Amino acid sequence: MSVLRPLDKLPELNTATILLVSTEDALLQQLADSMLREDCASQLNVHLARSLPLPSSVTRPRIDLIVFVVNLHSKYSLQNVEESLCHVDASFFLGKVCFLATGAGQESHCSIHHNTVVTLARTYRSPLLFCDLKVENFRVTMAQRLVRMLQVCAGHTPGVSALSLVSLLQSPESPSLEDL
Amino acid sequence: MEKQPEEKATGELADSGGEGGQPQAAGAQEAHKEDHMTLLLRLRAQTKQQLLEYKSVVDANEEKTPEQLMQEKQIEAKIEGLENEVEEAKIAFEIKNLALDRMQLSAALKNTLEKTDFKTSLLMDNMKHVLELNKLIMTSQQESWDLEEKLLDIRKKRLQLKQASESKLFEIQTEQNKQKDDLDNMGNSDKIKAIRKNLEREIQITTVIQNVFQE
Repeated sequence: MSVLRPLDKLPELNTATILLVSTEDALLQQLADSMLREDCASQLNVHLARSLPLPSSVTRPRIDLIVFVVNLHSKYSLQNVEESLCHVDASFFLGKVCFLATGAGQESHCSIHHNTVVTLARTYRSPLLFCDLKVENFRVTMAQRLVRMLQVCAGHTPGVSALSLVSLLQSPESPSLEDL
Repeated sequence: MEKQPEEKATGELADSGGEGGQPQAAGAQEAHKEDHMTLLLRLRAQTKQQLLEYKSVVDANEEKTPEQLMQEKQIEAKIEGLENEVEEAKIAFEIKNLALDRMQLSAALKNTLEKTDFKTSLLMDNMKHVLELNKLIMTSQQESWDLEEKLLDIRKKRLQLKQASESKLFEIQTEQNKQKDDLDNMGNSDKIKAIRKNLEREIQITTVIQNVFQE
């Protein structure tokens, strides 16, 4: 398939699938391990990909949440993410997409300004999380957060849907910033 | 130019819902059944939620939205309008939730009051305290309302005084202007011209007579 659609497959019982997209393979692997170690009542599937489109040769379950991980130290990861965004259907952005920016702590190494990622997240109306994935504790916390988000997006939390979560997570946009 | 993305699917965490327990005693057997029940209930809630999501997507797709021909600004305005609607719907929902909670709370309170010993309970003390506080609130609100009324009255009076003084000043000014005009007109009136003419004639006659008598 060339374009990922959110609801084209039926969900499997008690299963939630997350797709992590990034060029940073080591970080993704560590994040995936942290997520799998989390205590969760449903079964978790973690898929890792360097970029979209995904090869159609593999059968995979319905994807509930896509996390695009951007490393602020490398412009290539941002470029990769931007190119992969074209292969995601628009209805995914109703709460099932999240952006994760890592490496914001070391200002001297950052080649991407954090405003770029902020505008990117704002254009796609998706939540943006900052985390230093190399530090163990932050990674574990972020894994917990992602697991909770995944549960909501997969529909395992009664009363909360992905769309309501995303509108809860939206910070108020100050008009002065937008005018600049 | 096709990319060759790698994809790996990493493991699956086993369900921690206690499905794999191996109970021995009868009590443990009961616990096993309980776990089954909770699992079933959870699955039921999950499927309900997922069904709701699919239904809402189907309903959303039935609505016709105007697509590419709208200009970008119109789309942005529409998006803002829709977001506002979402916010309002959320607020209404929150308010209804609060009202529902309040109703449940008051029903529970009523039930406990009917059951427990009336006069000595802590609940009655709390309620009396709440009533006193409410009375205090009402009196202080009344006071502040009165003060605001007084303030408004004073401001109104001040405004009236200002207006009256303005009109008075205006009258004074017009009077002064009128007097000035009168003075100016007096200079041009006919009487004065006639008087001036006579005066000039008299002056001429007297100068002539003076000159005649001095010789």
